[in-house]
Amino acid sequence: MLTPLPSSKWDYDSAGHLLVRAGFGGSIAEVQDLTDRGMQQSLEKLLNSAPATSTPPTWAYANSLKDLFDQIRSSTTPEEEVKARQAFNQANRAQMVNLIQWWTQQMTDTNAPLLEKMTLFWHGHFATSATKAKPAYKMWLQNQTLRAHALGNFGTLTKAVSRDPAMLVWLDLASSQKERPNENFARELMELFTLGEGNYTENDVKEAAKAFTGYRINPIDQQFRFAANQFDPSIKVFMKKAGPWNGDQIIDIILEQPQCARFVVTKIWRSFVYEDPDPSLVDELAARFRQTHYEIKPLLRTIFSSEEFYSDRAKGAIIKSPVQYLVQARRSLGIYAPEGRALANIYRQLGQVPFYPPNVKGWDGGKSWINTGTLTYRYQIARALISGIRPEQAGLPKFPPKTAASTSPEPVERNAVAAAMPSNLDVGTPEPAATPFPPLTPPWPVEKYVNTEDRSDVERLLEKLYTQIFQSRPQPDLLKNFIEVASNKTLPLDDGSIRDLVMLMMTTPNYQVS
Amino acid sequence: MSQEPDVVTRRDFLRTSVLGAALSWTVPVFIERTFSALDAEAAESSLPAATGKDHPILVVLQLAGGNDGLNAVVPYVDDAYYRARPTIGIAKDKVINLNGHIGFNPALAPFKTLYDEGHLALLQGVGYPNPNRSHFRSTEIWQTASDTNKIVRTGWLGRYFDNCCSGEGATVGVALGSQLPQAFTSDNPTGITLSPGSRLGFAKETDASEQAVFNQLNGIDHDTVSGASIGELSGPNSSGMTAIEYLQRTALDAQIGTDKIAEILRRVKPEAIYPKTQLANSLSLISRLITGGLPTRVYYASQGGYDTHNAQENSHNRLLGELANAVSAFCQDLKSKGIVDQVMIITFSEFGRRVAENASKGTDHGTAAPMFISGGAIKPGIYGRPPSLEQLDAGDLIYNVDFRSVYGTILNRWLKAPAPKVLGRDFSPLAFV
Repeated sequence: MLTPLPSSKWDYDSAGHLLVRAGFGGSIAEVQDLTDRGMQQSLEKLLNSAPATSTPPTWAYANSLKDLFDQIRSSTTPEEEVKARQAFNQANRAQMVNLIQWWTQQMTDTNAPLLEKMTLFWHGHFATSATKAKPAYKMWLQNQTLRAHALGNFGTLTKAVSRDPAMLVWLDLASSQKERPNENFARELMELFTLGEGNYTENDVKEAAKAFTGYRINPIDQQFRFAANQFDPSIKVFMKKAGPWNGDQIIDIILEQPQCARFVVTKIWRSFVYEDPDPSLVDELAARFRQTHYEIKPLLRTIFSSEEFYSDRAKGAIIKSPVQYLVQARRSLGIYAPEGRALANIYRQLGQVPFYPPNVKGWDGGKSWINTGTLTYRYQIARALISGIRPEQAGLPKFPPKTAASTSPEPVERNAVAAAMPSNLDVGTPEPAATPFPPLTPPWPVEKYVNTEDRSDVERLLEKLYTQIFQSRPQPDLLKNFIEVASNKTLPLDDGSIRDLVMLMMTTPNYQVS
Repeated sequence: MSQEPDVVTRRDFLRTSVLGAALSWTVPVFIERTFSALDAEAAESSLPAATGKDHPILVVLQLAGGNDGLNAVVPYVDDAYYRARPTIGIAKDKVINLNGHIGFNPALAPFKTLYDEGHLALLQGVGYPNPNRSHFRSTEIWQTASDTNKIVRTGWLGRYFDNCCSGEGATVGVALGSQLPQAFTSDNPTGITLSPGSRLGFAKETDASEQAVFNQLNGIDHDTVSGASIGELSGPNSSGMTAIEYLQRTALDAQIGTDKIAEILRRVKPEAIYPKTQLANSLSLISRLITGGLPTRVYYASQGGYDTHNAQENSHNRLLGELANAVSAFCQDLKSKGIVDQVMIITFSEFGRRVAENASKGTDHGTAAPMFISGGAIKPGIYGRPPSLEQLDAGDLIYNVDFRSVYGTILNRWLKAPAPKVLGRDFSPLAFV
């Protein structure tokens, strides 16, 4: 049985925990504000904040790549077509890089962090990749759709996703034919979006595929269009029910299955609380989720106000996703991430590029965020975030291209190879003699967070930094390590020493979890 | 080639014994620690040196997405093939004949050369009973070598590491890609992941006390471990380790593994014969690590994009071309270095595709498919029967070689490991080794 957290147990650490899990963390002042409001009010604030209207990217309209697309279609030779395709892909990639930055900015600046966090969750759930869903405008539309329903109703959301143009391309629904329907969407709908493997039959897949016919995209406005003449109106037997079902009715039948609520609840619990919820807990939450007709807000309210959510079992049990890692660093510590391609490259090396999930299952999350490669990079980028990121740390060239006079084939070759996987693992390559590009981000502004007195009072300084970095009051066992290091340094501590201490705290296992 | 003496370093030993033991710690923590430390010290001097030059190496290539076996190895004399695939079937006159019954997709021409040189074996109709058509579940079945109706957490290679490679350190398995493959999941987490674009190693801290705290919190040096932090290492929960334990373990593996790898990559330069594709780059890197003497038994790389539901002709041919060219360059490279006899490369995909094409000029998820095995010491030839195109199970091919027979053969005859211990039971061996 889930019981609410008694108000006597609400404190700074619970407020920090809530703000990190139901958002992306915050400053000491923000956590203190939630502490003062109490749990109920804090939770309602998170659940009900309306986001400030944000400006869409300038290219986010239906026909922004139409000219380039038309050039592909009108090309007369294979060579022309290849060229036109490359031009299209290049422009599309530039828009995607911009979209990645746009969303990151959104998560960083929003005053409705839970809405963004749930948008990110649903993106991982209805995982669609820009590698196939083009142009970028489709991914933009999907992001809007996910946000519109992120805290709404799961059934409505699923139906909206089934009509989403990016999804229609990603799982081939837009090219499914009445005569021989494509099963891709029908299968993943049940396996990954609603029921989980083993809770439907192969025949259910085939029958559902028939119902999801006639789903098309209008090429002019890139919106969903229903082509009645491509719809298969025949009687389908789906989950033992016979009828001339259409796609929405298939989703309705799925929602009637108790397993659907269990599946969604389990996934939310695993992402927001801890990995292995007891079956009885899942059943309880699933029953409530069905009673409230799959409304997402009441489910989250129950979870985030439960004592279990604030238990020792839950605290520190979740490994931060790369997106959480970067956005939280900004919101809690004021650390700037670089922009554009550099940002996309950092995400790639950390193992999560928004809009580019590895496959339709989304990111596995949890321990799979961490392997020897990604952990090494996390530590490197943590240091770089504090000292100012150099271009090569974000996968960009370290030096400007050589001038024509000194051209040798070598730099081009190195760039080509650097784009591929293994050669970046090269070490000890001699550096060309040139002036390197300046850092992409400024060093962490120590003076903004540390005053003069703090510099001479090691314990007070570290308690403050700890609280800010780990979003909780210090654990004495962990804190004493940092105090020990700081006591060896000359007082008052200069900016360099303080940055070193912040780097040290960020390159610990404890910083990787929340 | 000069070889670094392969002594087991103190960190290696800490990793394999102290932390290894940590996983099974129950009550007498200190006794257990002390005992295994003594044990490992005694073993340190007598451990055989695995140098990468004197033991068999397995390279696993995952073709992710479900490779269309029928358009890779084409049953071009069977009319049923062309009836099922009126638009995407590979034309008879394009197929590279192998034995009068089947032939390669023209994109696999380099495989024909390898086959003629005696460096390629083709296994037909590989699959498993009660096939699952989900990418993820079927991949999991291949990675864990489980029965369809059983969920197994550990991977087949992970169990091989656990059972047969204890004391060899994290570099016994090296995976190229951003994730450690599930096949590597083991009770004692093992394996190094080299991610795209990653740089090697942790930065050194600027002062000694920072370095000490870094090492301690990251579990890299357990000399200074306090009773308190051992207390945190609670017994294994259902998912193995806590997040913090898992992070410490990974940090330690990263430090040990990347030191070695960085040293090799400084010393061994890439050969120029590889095509400029990601798969070829991966194989080039693997070749350098083998040449440099990394004591790795299993390398893992992957190529994605095989989920060809839609207009598959160009994309599928391109993928097959990349695969064949990369593997061919790799074999050539190994041959010129005189170590091709020491390496076996296998390909697998979670499933083949449906016999009949769909209305989008693509193919949907199917079942059995061929595997390609290459290397200098394999017994070339064609194994297994081509699956019938007329006797189908719900429109899909019926397998005749269980993939676990392939794994068993590799474990027993190539890696010299007790296959039943890893696979749970005996599977009839094949003759390709």
